[in-house]
Amino acid sequence: MNEVRGEFNDGKLVIFLSGHIDSNNAPLVEAEVLKELEGRDIQSIVLDVGELAYISSAGLRVLLRIRKSNENMKIINANSEVFEVLDMTGFTQMIEVEKAYREVSIEGCEVIGQGANGTLYRIDKDNVVKVYNNADALADIQNEREMAKTALILGIPTAISYDVVKVNGSYGSVFELLNASSFAKILQTQPDKFDWCVQEFTGMLNRIHSTVVPKGKLPDIKKTVTGWVEFMKDYLPADAHQKLKRMVFEVPHDDHMIHGDYHIKNLELTDNEVLLIDMDTLAVGHPIFELASMYNAFHGFSEYDHENVKNFLGIDYETSLKFLHDVFACYLSTDDEEKINEVEEKARIIGYVRMIRRSIRRKGLEDENKKAEIELWKSELLKLLDKVDTLLFTRDEIVVEAKVENLQDVLNFVDSHLDKVGCDPATQMKLQVAVEELFVNIAHYAYKPGSGDVAIGVNVTKEPKSVTISFKDSGVPFNPLAKEEPDITLKAEERGIGGLGIYMVRKTMDEMTYEYKDGQNILSMKKFF
Amino acid sequence: MEIIKKLDGDKFELKVEGRLDTTTAPELEEVIVAGIEGVKELVFDFAALDYISSAGLRVLLSAQKIMNKQGDMKVIGVNDTIMEIFEVTGFSDILTIDK
Repeated sequence: MNEVRGEFNDGKLVIFLSGHIDSNNAPLVEAEVLKELEGRDIQSIVLDVGELAYISSAGLRVLLRIRKSNENMKIINANSEVFEVLDMTGFTQMIEVEKAYREVSIEGCEVIGQGANGTLYRIDKDNVVKVYNNADALADIQNEREMAKTALILGIPTAISYDVVKVNGSYGSVFELLNASSFAKILQTQPDKFDWCVQEFTGMLNRIHSTVVPKGKLPDIKKTVTGWVEFMKDYLPADAHQKLKRMVFEVPHDDHMIHGDYHIKNLELTDNEVLLIDMDTLAVGHPIFELASMYNAFHGFSEYDHENVKNFLGIDYETSLKFLHDVFACYLSTDDEEKINEVEEKARIIGYVRMIRRSIRRKGLEDENKKAEIELWKSELLKLLDKVDTLLFTRDEIVVEAKVENLQDVLNFVDSHLDKVGCDPATQMKLQVAVEELFVNIAHYAYKPGSGDVAIGVNVTKEPKSVTISFKDSGVPFNPLAKEEPDITLKAEERGIGGLGIYMVRKTMDEMTYEYKDGQNILSMKKFF
Repeated sequence: MEIIKKLDGDKFELKVEGRLDTTTAPELEEVIVAGIEGVKELVFDFAALDYISSAGLRVLLSAQKIMNKQGDMKVIGVNDTIMEIFEVTGFSDILTIDK
């Protein structure tokens, strides 16, 4: 059985189709639809197929003829069978088709995460739903899914949603997250795991920041930040604003990934791995912009009212500050408080800009408390703008996955340190050769057949001019210095191809040491120039 | 890395520019393998080569082994830094180098 019913309002015709449409009844359905179209001044047509169970190709031809009468047509409430037919036949590419969304209740469900754009609920043992704040979130959901896919393909462990549902009139996306608990929860319930959390949290941060994103896949955070800075024009003295603008302008383009909202509610520990979630803020850009948003999450938003962090991250103010400090120390591979503070000050500048703009746009200046908070942020910002001259910083150590593709990043990192002291091209080339040989060696052999990370540290001195470069990996123990040297007096026919790289390094560097300690190969080389 | 090829009868000349390293060496090797058949004289012009690592040396070594059987091989235009690497590795004795 089937039925065609029309509702006409303000130039918009909604036609409800139900039952089955196949070659038996298609002509009849078409005739009934034509009756609905007749004599009306129709601006748009909506086909509501919520009650339609099946459609054959004869039925599809009817849909095409309806669309001929008015190009402005869309189909809504398609169940999964109908949607599949429309999708397979390519209809979804020419006609806008909305799926029917299953209703999910979150009553009594545990909140397991909270992001900038939505809240995460556990709906059963294996699945969670992220309910979006924005009522019209379909585009956002699609966007986040694309970003999560991009990240997953690039090697960032994350969960990708497999279904879109309706939750109390809002949209939600469902994904699998087995037995997961957020780092926020771990810190609340197992304080003895604090240091472990710092390590893992920083490890993931390193992984994100060492991931190169193909051009155009993710937005550029610098553009966004430039917009924030523009907004601040009316709220800062002209010279301070000018300086802020210059400092942001001088941050070089960077095609490495940043998460954009990196805090302990967006990192989940599952049965066997740590997963990054809430992927809708992913971008590319300089890590200082990431550190800025981390400063806000752990400190900035609670700087005026220390209770905020408890509501937001579930840990107390002191714990949050210590966590941020330890993560910065671990990220920068230093316990030099001055260095940590220096980088934090740079991060705070962008952090304050972001918070002030956000609060003002939410009418913060009209509320006494909010206004006082803005004033506090602003006075801190002005103090920092007086003191800090650049947002750039160099790390003494970077951690990258041991694969040949990361060679350029490693070379750039070493070069950025050499630039500080000035190095002649001949020495620079020898150092680059040495770095390439050792890094590629680790990439090829340390973790075969699996994968793993390598930490590269650089330390330069000015008097005398020297550079020390170290490589740390947790792969199979291997002492390259114990390797027999190739006989370089042999004729071409007799020479093999092995061992040449390490031999070159040994001959061109001034000092080399190797040790195996705590499960790590630690190789270090020094060159005076 | 840029490779400019010139085949003149049985003389094959390869001008290699830029960096000859782990990532680019396989490309040079492919060019050599594809063009070396019947070649009596193989010339590498390194005047615009800035950088060479062991991956590049390996390609030169295997080319030298082939040319030892079928003709001559020469490396020209080598700058001081790259010459130093040839010397350190003993390649200055294996290769015929015109500075």
